[in-house]
Amino acid sequence: MKAFPVVKIIPLLLLLAAWQAASVLGLLPASVLPPFSDVAVSLGAMLRSGELMANTLASFARAGAGFFIAAIVGVAVGLLMARRRAVERAIEPILLLIYPVPKPAMIPLFMVWLGIGDASKVAVIALACLLPIVIATFNGARGVDPMLIWSAQARGTSERRLLWRVVLPAALPQIAAGVRTAIAIAIIVLVSSEFISSEAGLGYLIFSYGGVGADDAMLAVVIYLAALGFLLDRFYLAGLRRLMSWHAFAH
Amino acid sequence: MPASACLEMRSIGMRYGEGAQAVQALSEIDLDIKEHEFVTIVGPSGCGKSTLLYLVGGFLRPSSGSLCLRGRPITGPGSDRGIVFQRYSLFPWLTVRSNIGYGLDEQGVARAERNRIVDEYVRLVHLQGFEDRYPRELSGGMQQRVALAQTLACQPDILLMDEPFGALDAQTRRILQDEVRRIWRQGAKTVLFVTHDVEEAVALGTRIVVMAARPGRIKEVLERGFDVADGEEFETNSAFAALKLHIWRSVKAEVEAAHA
Repeated sequence: MKAFPVVKIIPLLLLLAAWQAASVLGLLPASVLPPFSDVAVSLGAMLRSGELMANTLASFARAGAGFFIAAIVGVAVGLLMARRRAVERAIEPILLLIYPVPKPAMIPLFMVWLGIGDASKVAVIALACLLPIVIATFNGARGVDPMLIWSAQARGTSERRLLWRVVLPAALPQIAAGVRTAIAIAIIVLVSSEFISSEAGLGYLIFSYGGVGADDAMLAVVIYLAALGFLLDRFYLAGLRRLMSWHAFAH
Repeated sequence: MPASACLEMRSIGMRYGEGAQAVQALSEIDLDIKEHEFVTIVGPSGCGKSTLLYLVGGFLRPSSGSLCLRGRPITGPGSDRGIVFQRYSLFPWLTVRSNIGYGLDEQGVARAERNRIVDEYVRLVHLQGFEDRYPRELSGGMQQRVALAQTLACQPDILLMDEPFGALDAQTRRILQDEVRRIWRQGAKTVLFVTHDVEEAVALGTRIVVMAARPGRIKEVLERGFDVADGEEFETNSAFAALKLHIWRSVKAEVEAAHA
């Protein structure tokens, strides 16, 4: 992994220091924002008790399931749309219709269809992750240079194998960018879906602590979630650089 | 194998678009290429020389006329016609070795045999030591060597080259021209080579086709009539200079007509 420069952390530390100073000097009442030190203490306690870990696992199972369904379906649909005009004609209007809909707004409907359990949450996460992956795959596959395809055809590649041997790998850099967006969306929609009805998960923790006025604990979960999202993105990029060493990534 | 026509083109026409916007890219092209011939096609940009090559490759279909390879009509792309483009012939996600072995994998050649052939072609284009590199780690000249090896490893009946050295510097281009000529002589492959570089056309082609633009058509076909040795300093060859000048004037007249 490319080292994350320490200097980039300085503005963050300054912000936290200002927050703490404002609380200590009485400029920021605890009812508006609890002191950072309280939040940090809550965070430590929740990490030690295993409360965060247990809820992280519950959340990740949901987000992961939704994301993987979206990745597999999204790449397949995007590739077929790019190579088969009929598939493009059939799917494109549906995508355009779904695109502007805020996906969490679909949660109540999914609950009617799939119940209030995990299935409706997984479904809404999958739907939300699907769009950036389909669009990125479609654009990537459409943008493959025709000469690369001709080159493969002149070396004996059939139309059926072309998708797997040439179009998919050639579109990978763009698919990877779409997947990165989808990971961020998965976390956002996950938390929204857990606000609505659940007994476990990081969204559930934020909602429950917020509901009882335990602002320090609520903020601790928010900060934990932010750190988790950041690390996930870094790991994803690092994994990508290893897997796609053939591609010159613009850093 | 009869030493007669390997490739036959009969009154080929190619139109793009429809109605008033239609462009006649090629008109009445008749050309036969014999087995083991090295034919270069030279002409101003926009004369349809690459289009003609893509028709032979089967990537495009002619609006009229017919193309036959060894007596069989060309209906689509196939591994009997290998092609090297100026760029984008190689798969960036495959190493040099996997790129050269690509066509063999597609044809289901057994592992051991495939590796033997790949090694043979790595040696042929002098890429020993670079087998595990990715294309982006190689210079433009080396990438074109890989593309050549990738194409030859498929054992095509005819080698199609679409301005393959157009993006290379002058020195590298000259070295690769010698390589292609050497490989052609050794394997006696049939080669159809498109270029906009008059000197390259004369240095490589045993027969040189000069094309005119708007619509793209054959202006003249010239037998070279003398041999060019590998590494020869053809600048000192007066027959070479005379032929080059003749073709240059012929192409220049077309360029000037296009700008008139």
